[in-house]
Amino acid sequence: MFRLVFLFLLPLIFSACSKPPAVTREDHPLPDGVDTARVEPGRRGGVFIQSVPGEPSTFNPLVSEDATSGGFISLFLDSLTRYNAVTQEVEPGLATRWDVGKDNKTFTFHIRPDIRWSDGAPFSADDVLFTFQAIYDTRYPNRSAFDLSVDGKPFRIEKIDDLTVRITTPEIFAPFLEYVGGVGILPKHRLEPAFRDGTLQKAWNVSVAQHQPETLVGTGAFRLRSYQPAERIVFEANPHYWRADSAGVRLPYVDFLVTKLVKDINASTLAFATGQTDAEGLSPDNVAWIERFAKRYDFLVHNRGPSPNTGFIWFNQNPGKDSSGQPFVQPHKLAWFTDRRFRQAISHGIDREGIVKGVLFGRGQPLWGPETPANKKWYNPDVTQYPYDPARARALLAEAGFKLGEDGRLRDAQANVVEFTLNSNQENQLRVNMATVFKENMRDLGITVNLAFLDFGTFVGKIQDSFDYEAGLLGLTGGGDPAGGMSVFSSKGRLHQWYPNQKSPATPWEARIDELMSLQLRTLDYATRRKYFNEVQKIMSDETPYIYLVTANAYVGLKDRWKNIQIPPLGSLVWNLDELWTVFTP
Amino acid sequence: MTAFILRRLGTLVPMLLAVTLLVFALMSLAPGDFLTPVKAQRDINPALIAELQKSFGLDRPWYEQYLRWLGNIVRLDFGYSWTYKVPVAELIAQRAPATILLSLCSLALAWGLAIPLAVLAAARPGSWIDRLTSSAAYFALAIPEFFLALLAVWFAAQTGWFPIGGLTSLDHDFLPLGARFLDVAWHLILPTLVLGLGGVAGTLRVLRANVLDVLRAEYVTAARAKGLPEKIVLFRHVLRNALNPLLSTVGYAFAGLLSGSLLVENVMNYPGLGRLVYEAFIREDQFVVLGSVMVGCTLLVIGNLISDLALAWSDPRVRYGR
Repeated sequence: MFRLVFLFLLPLIFSACSKPPAVTREDHPLPDGVDTARVEPGRRGGVFIQSVPGEPSTFNPLVSEDATSGGFISLFLDSLTRYNAVTQEVEPGLATRWDVGKDNKTFTFHIRPDIRWSDGAPFSADDVLFTFQAIYDTRYPNRSAFDLSVDGKPFRIEKIDDLTVRITTPEIFAPFLEYVGGVGILPKHRLEPAFRDGTLQKAWNVSVAQHQPETLVGTGAFRLRSYQPAERIVFEANPHYWRADSAGVRLPYVDFLVTKLVKDINASTLAFATGQTDAEGLSPDNVAWIERFAKRYDFLVHNRGPSPNTGFIWFNQNPGKDSSGQPFVQPHKLAWFTDRRFRQAISHGIDREGIVKGVLFGRGQPLWGPETPANKKWYNPDVTQYPYDPARARALLAEAGFKLGEDGRLRDAQANVVEFTLNSNQENQLRVNMATVFKENMRDLGITVNLAFLDFGTFVGKIQDSFDYEAGLLGLTGGGDPAGGMSVFSSKGRLHQWYPNQKSPATPWEARIDELMSLQLRTLDYATRRKYFNEVQKIMSDETPYIYLVTANAYVGLKDRWKNIQIPPLGSLVWNLDELWTVFTP
Repeated sequence: MTAFILRRLGTLVPMLLAVTLLVFALMSLAPGDFLTPVKAQRDINPALIAELQKSFGLDRPWYEQYLRWLGNIVRLDFGYSWTYKVPVAELIAQRAPATILLSLCSLALAWGLAIPLAVLAAARPGSWIDRLTSSAAYFALAIPEFFLALLAVWFAAQTGWFPIGGLTSLDHDFLPLGARFLDVAWHLILPTLVLGLGGVAGTLRVLRANVLDVLRAEYVTAARAKGLPEKIVLFRHVLRNALNPLLSTVGYAFAGLLSGSLLVENVMNYPGLGRLVYEAFIREDQFVVLGSVMVGCTLLVIGNLISDLALAWSDPRVRYGR
């Protein structure tokens, strides 16, 4: 019996007095091309703990399509440039500087001298060449190959010398520097054999990461120490990292970065609320109850301001017919949906302030255009707004020939009752709540809205393949360069949801948007691009193919003990993990 | 006997065919496919989606996909996971040990607790111990497993005595070997209890009835008349005979070795096969789902076979074959 009690107690004793092991970090001289961080010098040591819902599907950037895997890859693979999520500017990465040729198509990158891979091998221009070679190889279809080409034509990469690389784009390509910043440079000395024998996509998969973590060699602040599927990923400081502080101490300050892999977002939030993790992104509806634990577990909830997530309602304006000759949308309804006045009236009829108060508990703001204020660099504040005004909505409807009957129902000029079905996906409670408010708002105008919540897969199928629906409510994550929005704004686009994959633009304003979107891609001048993209945003708000609803604020909870924190308005929770340090070691 | 075993194993083939066909058809009927989440991302090029569709064979009708998969199975190639780009067999092997560990622990708990309790209860029917175990068993059977798992998580969160989910602590890698072992043991306590409790109750009730039956047998009276101590009568003569029907449940336990803990694993954040399979279902990662269904079916058939053989071995009245 005593032994049983002892067995029970032992782990408790262990966990009570467990101290982090004394860490001795490898010491290597700083490279000549070291980058000096402009932050207050801190102290080394400590473990940063976070949790992530789900599981990385791979550690290979040529395979990764999901944000979870991408996040882990960017911890150990750096790029020629890096995107500062706080200032939203492109900064030097593995390249100290770059020159842009007169033709605006040639970029010459000067690589930091003397930097090394995390296994100690020297880094050179050959690694950059190898990376692009792997990306463009047709044996390995991957996302970057499509992002890094213009009209299907790849970039040309040349090695000038061991520390200089020239990249030439076939046409002027506006988001070039930002996109290059997303390309993690791969170690040629490790991956070339796999590249040659055609197995590059199987390299660095989860099985390799579990059994041979030391083979995942990178240039980032961290290198993989261990991976236990469905349990945790432990990264340790890369002893060859190319950044140091002003006192000459090599970054990162933290010894270990531990990520707990949990089942879903609720488990992740709970882990933070009970003091188990150091940082967590929080949705607005969770903030209130989590803040009650702030004192007990010494954390603070930071408001990041508006998130880059948009929410909108749209009507199906697709005039096509299905295989049996039936139109996707009944003709009289299609007539309403393609009438701008009808869409504007609906927009005026929505009480966005009410949605912010009732659905988001005041933690958000009305949204009038395709970008949210989170996208500082591209957000256009001067778009047309449709404040809540039922009288104005009724006037617009009357102008478009709609009449309110004695029974309180709205009818069009042919006496069809105005009624439609709004689809959304059932998994997202915020959307379900917004749809409910919308239904109430429309009832005040005499419009009957039926709500149908579908499984996400079914809904996407309707939007992209079968087109048999009337109206939808969905969100998109905006932010970043306008080039990322091609599939939404361009009339040929796959996510041009009100009428996707058009052969030629259905309306003059869609033709104008197409023109503006291709113009903004073909210049490197920010002011010119901004002018074009501002006009796109203005047209979107005037014509309201998407009736924008609200954008929720984003929140980050963070333990008080961390110093040098920079929280960006969008993207990762803490963008400068390498500069974080703590006074206490736990 | 060999003919019997071969015949039983032979039934495995049509069964696997039918089950996988059904699973494949149902998955194709379900809305969306593996690429649906990719399609909903705004900055993914349509050409990439088309290429992925082609490389996964998702552009073909489902029966063609099934036949192709079947062709590979014949060559013992179970395909690879679309999500992880790792062969299915390897993925299952990666996650199976944790699940087997949990299943064995809960099985040990079920038998270790149920057998002595059942004998004690049956030895004195109507006594306080009998009534207590019977009503406790009713309760345990009445509570659904997932609900018990939720209660356990809540209990761990409230008291802080046990870890909330997982199999190891965050600092597991830094612990000395002995502490690592204890760390795992500490994490196993709650999931084992949750998974094992139903088993304790079920086994207890079946065994108690059997023991009561056997106690009325004449050879028990004879043993007692010989003057054997009650302990020996109960555990050597009664228990051995009462265990026979339980041997047939060994097979079911074997079948549930890998699949029995799916719900508990998902609720308790346990890093086993159950979570992998559940996620594969949600993401429609076809080959992982099919692979796990096949493993489950095979284990069920083999498990049944084992319990039949065990029965023949322990009870001379049972004969198979000619």
